[in-house]
Amino acid sequence: MKAIGARLPRYDGVAHVSGRTQYVDDVRVPGTLWVKALRSPHHSALIRSLDTSKAEGMTGVHAIVTHKDVPHNVYGHLEALGVPADEPLLAQDDVRWKGQVIAAVAATSPEAAQAAVDAIKVSFEERTPVLDIRTAADPGADTFHQWGALYPHFGPYNHRRVRKGDVEAAFEEADHIVEGAYRPQAIEHVPLETQVSLVVPEASGRLTIYSCTQAMYFSMGVVAAHLKWPLNKLKFVGGTVGGGFGGKVDTATETICALLAIKAKRPVKWRFTREEEFLCSSTRAPWHVEIRDAVTDDGWIRGRRMLTLHDAGAYARFSPYGLTKHAFHHTGAYTIPNLRFDGFVVFTNRVPTTAMRGFGVTSVSLATELHLSRVAKVIGMDPFELRLKNANRIGDTTGNRVVMHDPSTVPVTLAAAEAAGIELAADYRAMTSDRRTGDLLPEHLVGQQAPDGEHLATFRGTDANGGAS
Amino acid sequence: MELTVNGVRHDVFSPPLTTLLNVLREELLVTSPKAGCEQGGCGACTVHVDGRPRRACLVPLAAVEGAEITTVEGLSDGDDLSVVQAAFHEHYAAQCGFCTSGFVMAAEALVAGGEAGRDEIIEALSGHVCRCTGYAKIIDAVGAASRGEVSGAEDPAAPDRLSPADEPVKVKGSPA
Amino acid sequence: MGGSPFGAAEVVVAASPQEAIDAFGDGDGVTVLAGGTIVVPDVTYGRLDARKVVLIGRAGLSGVRSEGGRTVIGAGTTLAELEDAVEPLGTCARRVADPEIREQATLGGNLCAPPGAESPRGDLQAGLLVLDAQVRSAGAGGERTESVEDVLASPGGRLVLDVSVAEPEAAATATVRRPHAHAYTVMRVCAARVAGEVRVAVSGAGPRAVRLRAVEAAVAGGADAESAAGHALEDVTPQDDALASGWYRGKVLPVLVRDALTKIG
Repeated sequence: MKAIGARLPRYDGVAHVSGRTQYVDDVRVPGTLWVKALRSPHHSALIRSLDTSKAEGMTGVHAIVTHKDVPHNVYGHLEALGVPADEPLLAQDDVRWKGQVIAAVAATSPEAAQAAVDAIKVSFEERTPVLDIRTAADPGADTFHQWGALYPHFGPYNHRRVRKGDVEAAFEEADHIVEGAYRPQAIEHVPLETQVSLVVPEASGRLTIYSCTQAMYFSMGVVAAHLKWPLNKLKFVGGTVGGGFGGKVDTATETICALLAIKAKRPVKWRFTREEEFLCSSTRAPWHVEIRDAVTDDGWIRGRRMLTLHDAGAYARFSPYGLTKHAFHHTGAYTIPNLRFDGFVVFTNRVPTTAMRGFGVTSVSLATELHLSRVAKVIGMDPFELRLKNANRIGDTTGNRVVMHDPSTVPVTLAAAEAAGIELAADYRAMTSDRRTGDLLPEHLVGQQAPDGEHLATFRGTDANGGAS
Repeated sequence: MELTVNGVRHDVFSPPLTTLLNVLREELLVTSPKAGCEQGGCGACTVHVDGRPRRACLVPLAAVEGAEITTVEGLSDGDDLSVVQAAFHEHYAAQCGFCTSGFVMAAEALVAGGEAGRDEIIEALSGHVCRCTGYAKIIDAVGAASRGEVSGAEDPAAPDRLSPADEPVKVKGSPA
Repeated sequence: MGGSPFGAAEVVVAASPQEAIDAFGDGDGVTVLAGGTIVVPDVTYGRLDARKVVLIGRAGLSGVRSEGGRTVIGAGTTLAELEDAVEPLGTCARRVADPEIREQATLGGNLCAPPGAESPRGDLQAGLLVLDAQVRSAGAGGERTESVEDVLASPGGRLVLDVSVAEPEAAATATVRRPHAHAYTVMRVCAARVAGEVRVAVSGAGPRAVRLRAVEAAVAGGADAESAAGHALEDVTPQDDALASGWYRGKVLPVLVRDALTKIG
């Protein structure tokens, strides 16, 4: 046990500082071809024609792939989690975001590949792009996605719902109603290592795939599904990722490289340029969050209504999952007994969005914490005391009925106040996470407390969407 | 064209305007300098040209004919790390490691000039981007290296270097 | 060979100023490569189709010397070597990018920088304008020396050999704060008093640096800094780019002019 508590050196530290760590682009396989992609120049357009014949014959070109080469083109990354497929690997009838891949070329040099890409003839019929999530679902608005403006598969609903208690009564009885809108913007991950993979056909008929993915088995499943290959024909080699932060779960290059490697019978590598990384790789999603809280004079948050619009970009990808996590955390680290949350995944003609550090939750933390500070200001209460009063305690239940048995809100808030040099009143300084009693258990919080001794997290009487029971 | 890399003389056949980065990575298989942006904006490709730190992605081969190029691979002597390398390792200045080669080469040039203060370190490294560490440990490592404050080039992973930590910090009021 | 877009170009590495001049000829179809910080990424990303490239980094065109009361700076002199140069040139050079870039980027490249697609380039141009810079160049018709304003007004087609600048009696700059090394300078006003005459120029308000003659005329006519600054937008109409809007630049420029004029007194 001498490792516990010890200051251990990084097992890869010496390799990092001596240049020995191997990233995908450092792997050298003789005969490797370079990939360049034909990308949509339009935000939204129908593809009227696609002709790769001139490109096929160009010097150094070994293979070109389009949607015709993909055994299973439309595969959903989260099909196993109930999110149906909507996104083609290679665009077929239309393009829905600027940068979407239509075709890819494997050639003996990046220049030869790019020259071939430039020789592919493609014609479009442009459509008006949908770019604002606030108006995308208006009656009569343009839509481009086969499911309409909104992702419709949250069970029977087109939104993720949380319902608890009686939020209308809470608003009727409130002393203050505090409203706010919060719009965290898209963030690009900017990993130092851009998206990259190297696919090597083996003599056995398998493919060895050197991948920068953060999720090796997941990416393996994606490639196998598109190729309609059994998993045991793929050998994924992961290793050191040059920064991912959530952006390297998208299996951005592996499948297309695999198709090219199969067609060319040569190793194939695709490394995004920095411009491709900025313009075409997925980002953290932009969000639009509206919060309305029912608040008492003495600082109890009795009810919350919340509307969230999540910008998925052109396809669903992981957005329903991110929104679901966002929904579960929409009360923040605080206990609010009456809730109505509606969250929508909205399609726009932007690059499909993805995970980034705290997927779905950073947006809700930002919004709810800013909102609490606003509430404190409106009612004239110290922002730390407002948080401590409403903080999760043992036996409190969340919006989706999870029983808190070890919440850390109180000690963390107290530690933060101390670190910031904030002097709190004595009764606040003495607060703990213990079950609510006395003044900390007003009547409106009685119904949401789990019985004493029930310490296991349970879902009680909720449907799959956190709906009221 | 002739180029000396880490003390080894090479006949190089790449076209004269190939970037030094691609000559190193693709022709000479020296892969420590990385292609982070290929436009001089990130510092992941920094190597030494005649002892001075340069963005290899901005240097055409023809401009450095006959020059002495040093990369990270040329810093260590066998398994002994340079002072800068050892400092980076001891201060946990690398997480994913992709930016590390560039930072180390920039730091080597700075540290050769003696002790460096925080502002000087920040200025010297200002062209280098790191997305993982938040820079603080990198600055600490370079400062320590500039003062010679590293425990030496022995293997820091040796078991006798493990020692129990101090009592872990407890957050007040947290459950036992 | 992966990543080498230069296969077809003719490359000349000049070993002397005369070799550079001969290789440049009349400049038709020639790309001059000094530090490479602008040219090399342009070719890497396919934005520049280089047919004949003349490298001047080893052509003996670097160096700073005094001559007849002026400072003569070789076109191949790096920005790092100019960090302590005569003001306001020194300030302009110090605030470009980071030390590694400054050790590669050159005065000549900065002077001849084509306008950036999304952000301003050529930070030294405003400094040169206020220091009465004279540019010696080679090209069609042979060697000639002309004012930096004439060079900026009809750029291209010349191989810059060196630039001479005056010694000012006073010099100052006022800049939109550059938050970090990776940011380009959004806008900077340079001011200098040379032989009793106040000159004012701005970089970042247009595709190239511009002299603010209406401001200069107001100062010469006795106006104070505030009133002279009121003429700031008569010689330039600031444009939008990725870093700032034309509107913002238009609001800030008179403030920078006023500050620079106040500093030189």
